[in-house]
Amino acid sequence: MKHFKPCLALAAAGLVAGCAQTPAPPPETEAAAPSAPGATFTVPVVYETLDNGLKVVLSPDDTAPVATVAVYYHIGFRNEPKDRTGFAHLFEHMMFQGSENLGKMEFIKLVQGLGGSLNGSTRFDFTNYFQTVPAHRVETVLWAEADRMRSLQVTQDNLTNPQGVVKNEVKVNVLNQPYVDTGATLAMVNKYFGNIASPAARPAQPDISEPRQEVEKRFTRVDPLAPRPGLAWAYHVPPRGTPEHYAMVLLASILADGEDSLLHQKLVKEKGYAGGVGAAINMLGNPFNYEGPMLWVGYLIHDPSHSADTIMADVDAVIDGLRSTPVDAETLDRALVKFRSGFYDTLASGFGRADLLASYALFDDNPAGINNIEAGIRAVTPELILQTAREYLRPGNRTVLVLEAGAGQPAATMSQQPGQ
Amino acid sequence: MKNLILTSGFLAALVLPTLAGANEMPPPGGEPKDFSLAEPVRFELDNGLSATLLEFGTAPKATIYVSLAAGAVNEGEATWLSSLTGDMLKEGTENYTALELAETAGAMGGGLSVGSGDESTTVYIDVLSEHAADAVKLVAEVLQRPTFPASELDRIKRDYLRSLAVNKQQPQALASQAYSKLLYGDHPFAGEWPTEAQLAAYTIEDVRDFYEGNFGAQRARIYVAGVFDQARVKAAITEAFGGWARGPQRVIDIPADPAAPGVALVDRPGAPQATIRLGLKTIDPSDPAWTKLVFTNTLLGGFFSSRVTENIREDKGYTYSPRSSLASHYRDGYWTQSADVSIEHTGDSLREIYGEIYRLRNEAPGADEIERVRNFMTGSFIRSNASRLGILGLIAFIDYHGLPREYLTEYASRVGAITAEDVRMTTEKYLVPEDMSLAVVGDLSQVRPQLETLPQLEGRLPD
Repeated sequence: MKHFKPCLALAAAGLVAGCAQTPAPPPETEAAAPSAPGATFTVPVVYETLDNGLKVVLSPDDTAPVATVAVYYHIGFRNEPKDRTGFAHLFEHMMFQGSENLGKMEFIKLVQGLGGSLNGSTRFDFTNYFQTVPAHRVETVLWAEADRMRSLQVTQDNLTNPQGVVKNEVKVNVLNQPYVDTGATLAMVNKYFGNIASPAARPAQPDISEPRQEVEKRFTRVDPLAPRPGLAWAYHVPPRGTPEHYAMVLLASILADGEDSLLHQKLVKEKGYAGGVGAAINMLGNPFNYEGPMLWVGYLIHDPSHSADTIMADVDAVIDGLRSTPVDAETLDRALVKFRSGFYDTLASGFGRADLLASYALFDDNPAGINNIEAGIRAVTPELILQTAREYLRPGNRTVLVLEAGAGQPAATMSQQPGQ
Repeated sequence: MKNLILTSGFLAALVLPTLAGANEMPPPGGEPKDFSLAEPVRFELDNGLSATLLEFGTAPKATIYVSLAAGAVNEGEATWLSSLTGDMLKEGTENYTALELAETAGAMGGGLSVGSGDESTTVYIDVLSEHAADAVKLVAEVLQRPTFPASELDRIKRDYLRSLAVNKQQPQALASQAYSKLLYGDHPFAGEWPTEAQLAAYTIEDVRDFYEGNFGAQRARIYVAGVFDQARVKAAITEAFGGWARGPQRVIDIPADPAAPGVALVDRPGAPQATIRLGLKTIDPSDPAWTKLVFTNTLLGGFFSSRVTENIREDKGYTYSPRSSLASHYRDGYWTQSADVSIEHTGDSLREIYGEIYRLRNEAPGADEIERVRNFMTGSFIRSNASRLGILGLIAFIDYHGLPREYLTEYASRVGAITAEDVRMTTEKYLVPEDMSLAVVGDLSQVRPQLETLPQLEGRLPD
């Protein structure tokens, strides 16, 4: 059996990065623009909107005879109506409870019985359902998704008219559909989704905008089960799609993506506080698949012999460096290469591509915008990195969370009757 | 270019699962498509290192993966020394400091990743296509010229102590360890944890000795997959690895089966759940019946629509995520049913799991169920091989176990040929309830009385 390998699994932050809300053209610059072009990678995008408002995105890929079908509803846990808090997540589960032609849990059995995998999740700004299936089974999955979009069976008396809530949302359907021509696939989507009624307008959206944060916030929590203390920090990031946001994506990479990153070098290698540093813009996704305010979050689990203040002083020293001097060309080049490497894999994976296409269709009405992300990242200059760090990596722009380890649990004791 | 066809048209015959109470049946979909793959290019260097190159996908990326036959099996009493050696590989080489290694890897688009398992150490990096040949050279540097700087040892040992402390608080880790001990006794596959004193005592000489005793060309296989210049990469492998000494021969230490099944109970007073591991040693992937056993495991507890999952999750609600699985070493395999169950249903859960095994031993499943599992397995096979690392992992698995190449190309037809009676007989032959070992982590004041009611455990509970 695998022994428990002693290493910390850290989220691969910065594997995906980039952005675009108002598809801001990359700034026209300039002398120090990062290095050699190297390969680029774009994906085909076919975009249609059905008469009932359903947005449909198709993107062929012939790597393997599999297809990803992803249905994204423009409702997440921070933009649901005020009196309906929790509904987005509730619906994620309701959607497996049965519809006109699919009994409870039969959606799952159907997809698995086709040789597919499936999942659903609730995120800040959307709820999604996605399946990866052998390519020739796409029509079956479209039928099933349409069935539950049209006729979800809601039986609990205390849920009043939740179908309306769902149907009022803009719906997006994305396929990563190789081996089938896009025209035929569009026809299938029309056949199964085209007659689903579209109620009037989307409900009024709550205002989730945030004022500029001026003063650092700090919280302390005690976790009675934690064997080691933890520390996390979060900075507000620039609006998605702005040049500063692209710069922030590279800043996040320079700070905490990989063993060559500045925080890894300082906190792990030099100081030995922890086995690793985790960090991400958007802890529940990537720097592109959200709408509205977002945070860059970093965290580590450390030994009790070091205080949070000591560690934060080292974090500050690293960040102050980026706020006082422009990064050198080599560091910026490296961040760009790492970005491209991770981003290409996101675009190449069925789910990763579908997720970005759906996000850009939902939030920007422009799924092809994902092909502009790389150019936006490539346009970032050391000067822009400096400006962005000065404004967004201010101490006043952050919140720090200190997690204290509880007294610990009684040690487990073991008795055994060996079979050997 | 020659192609391997992994799946093809026979799947067309398959029918859709029946839906209870549907007014309208789902459309069956179109004609299945072949999954064809470029024929891998294979070659071997004079020093015994073998190489496999696979053109795959469209993204301008390449994955370089080395599997080297050194792991826990080579440690003797020195638990976790193989991991420590693996992690120290990245701390510096004759030509690079640790920081230079990380920066060089980053500038290619990846990070060097070293993993250590029971039987092998893997070195892995994922880079932009234009850097594939240079990445091969970087991997070669790390494997052949590590300097093992003593200055870094204490930090890594502190990381290990931190991991150890976390493991000791996790019921799943505790259960797996207790269970492994039942199956493997004193063999290194038991995956014991080191004591803190033992970890602290390891020296840089221990690391160096492990490296010298276990690393070398004839134990290594290198795989490259993705979009890359094959001629350049082949030249890079030949140049960068050609001078490596053959090194020591691979050590094969196949564990004996336990003399008798055991029971281990780990007390966590007040825990609301019991963590269960139930299972036994079985055949390994080189056995002709392996795919039948994989099929049987899938049907019994290996996916959402499996019998055990439907029973104790969907029907009874005892647990959220039960799962059965097969795992293997070289010429060694075992089957395990895992579940975290509500503590008051520990006995009930086990009764149902045993019950499902008996039922499958006695009665062949229906055609619909066979069909569903067959589709699931074939689809999983395609999906899991639709990425560079996925397909490399499968090719490496085939190499490791010395399986025929048809294992890959005839997988789908092998799965397609399995019958309901095959599944029943496979269960009868390999999943014998009376031979199963059991580990439970939970509040024993609640768990023990429930276990005492199970006939399978009569007279077997530890004091």
